[in-house]
Amino acid sequence: MPKDDLKKYYDMLELPPDAPLRDIHNSFMRLKKIYAGESIVLAPLGEEFSEKKRKKILEQIEEAYLKLLEAKKDAPSRTAFLFTDGQEPGAGAEAAALDDAPYTGPTLRKIREKAGVELSEISKELKLRLELLKHIEEEKFEGLPEAIYLKVHLKNYAAYLGLNPVRVIEEYLRRYQAWKEKKSPSEK
Amino acid sequence: MTQTTKVREGEIWAVGGGKGGTGKTFITSSIGTYLAKKGKNVVLVDMDIGGANLHSFFGINRPQKSLTSFFEMGASLSDLVVKTDLSNISLISGDVHSLSTDKITFGQKLKLFRQIMKLNAQNVIVDLGAGSHYNTLDTFLIADRMLVVLVPEVIAIENMYHFIKNSLFRKVKKTLKEYGFKEIAQHIWDRRQSYGINNIKELIDYLKESFSYIGTILDHELAAFKVHLVLNMVRNNNDILLGASIKSVMMKYLGVPIQYSGYIEYNDAVWKSVRERKPFMLNYLATACAKEIEVLVDNVVKGKEVVLPGGY
Repeated sequence: MPKDDLKKYYDMLELPPDAPLRDIHNSFMRLKKIYAGESIVLAPLGEEFSEKKRKKILEQIEEAYLKLLEAKKDAPSRTAFLFTDGQEPGAGAEAAALDDAPYTGPTLRKIREKAGVELSEISKELKLRLELLKHIEEEKFEGLPEAIYLKVHLKNYAAYLGLNPVRVIEEYLRRYQAWKEKKSPSEK
Repeated sequence: MTQTTKVREGEIWAVGGGKGGTGKTFITSSIGTYLAKKGKNVVLVDMDIGGANLHSFFGINRPQKSLTSFFEMGASLSDLVVKTDLSNISLISGDVHSLSTDKITFGQKLKLFRQIMKLNAQNVIVDLGAGSHYNTLDTFLIADRMLVVLVPEVIAIENMYHFIKNSLFRKVKKTLKEYGFKEIAQHIWDRRQSYGINNIKELIDYLKESFSYIGTILDHELAAFKVHLVLNMVRNNNDILLGASIKSVMMKYLGVPIQYSGYIEYNDAVWKSVRERKPFMLNYLATACAKEIEVLVDNVVKGKEVVLPGGY
C-alpha cells in the first residue's frame, strides 16, 4: 500500500504512523464506541452531530482498521515484532512456523512465551482471572465461558500480544465450536 | 525618561469551561502556586463574578480591595493587587455580591482587558468562573493559553462544548468584522438552510471554499485558537481516556484542535485542603494530584499531551 494511504488510515484512527498493532486495535475500539453512539462524549451534541456524519465516520474508521490490519499482515512476518531487536537470529524458522500455524491454545502460548510475556502480566493488565487465561492456552474448553464472552477475552488477549484479533477469534473459536458440537450435538 | 512602548512579556492564562463546580478555582490556584514555585512572578485574577472565592484558597479573608472598586469606582487594576503569604504570587480578588457579568459595559470590558495585559507579572492567570456569557468568552479569547476544566460527567461535557463552540463563534465573528466581511457571513447564516449549512463548522468551511481570501484570513486567525483540556476528578482509566475522546469529537464537530494537557485524579486531600484554606500545592505535595498539576503545567508550557494509559 502507498505510504500516503497508510498515513491517511493512521490519521483516521488518530495514531502516529507506524503505531503498533495493539494501539491500532485499542484506538479503533475506542473510536468505534464513540461514533457508534455508546460513549457519553457524543450524546450532548444530539442532532448537531448528524446520524449521517456519525455513520460516515464509523465507516471510515472501520475501513482504516481493516486496511491497517491488512498492511500489518503483509509485513515480512506477523510475529516479527517479537524479534525486532534481532537478539534471536535463529528464531526465524520457528517464527515462520508460528506464522503459518492456526491460532490454537498451544500456539498462542508459544507466541506469548517468545514475546517474554508472563500470563500474570496479562491477567493484571486485562483484569482477567489467571485461571481463565490458562484454560484458553490449554484449550480446557469446559472451563471457558460462552462464545460471546470468550470472544471478548480472546480479542483483548490477542491485542495485548499484538496479534490480529479477527484471526485469533476466528481460528480459536472454530476449535471451541467443534468441541461444543461433539459434546452435545443435539444442542445446536 | 524617554517614552517607550511597553512590550508585553508576560503570558495570560485563562481557566474556564462552562460548568460550575468542576474545580476551576482549585486548578487556577494550584497552577499559579506551581508556576510561582518555579520562580515565575504570578498574579491571579478572580473573574468569577458573583461567586469569587479565589482568595480563600490562600487563606485570605474577603479583601477590602476587589474588582468592585474597578467597576464601580474606576480604580486601576494594578492598585487592586493583594499579596499572599507566598512570595511570588499575588491576586486580584473578585467581587462577591454587587456585580453581575451582564452589567459590565463594553468600555469597562476593553479597559479591563488593557489593564490585565499591563499587569506586572510573568504569568497572569484568570479564573473565569462558570457560564458562557459573552463577556466571559471574550476574556477567554484574550488569553495566550486557553484552558477548559471539566469533570467526567455528561453535563460538564455538554457545557464545555457549548463554551468552546461559542468562543469559536465569537472569534470568527470578531475576525470577519475586523476584515469587513461580517455582512457576508451573516447573509449566508440567515439563509443557512438553502445553503445546506447546519453548524458553525460548516459555515466556516463554506466561507473558506467560496472566498479564498476569507479562508486565508480565517486560517491565519484561527491557528491560535488552541484549547487546553483539563479533566478533573478522574477516578479510573476510562475517565482518563474521555479526554482523548472529547478531542476526537471536537475536531470532527468544530474542527477545533484540542490539546489534552492534563488530568487530575479525584482525591479527598483537595477537599480537605479547601477546608483548611491553605494552598494545596504547598501542603499536599506528595499526593498524586500535586504531581498531576505539575505535569499539566509542564504540558501546557511545552505543548505536550497526556500519555494515555493501557497502550492507547
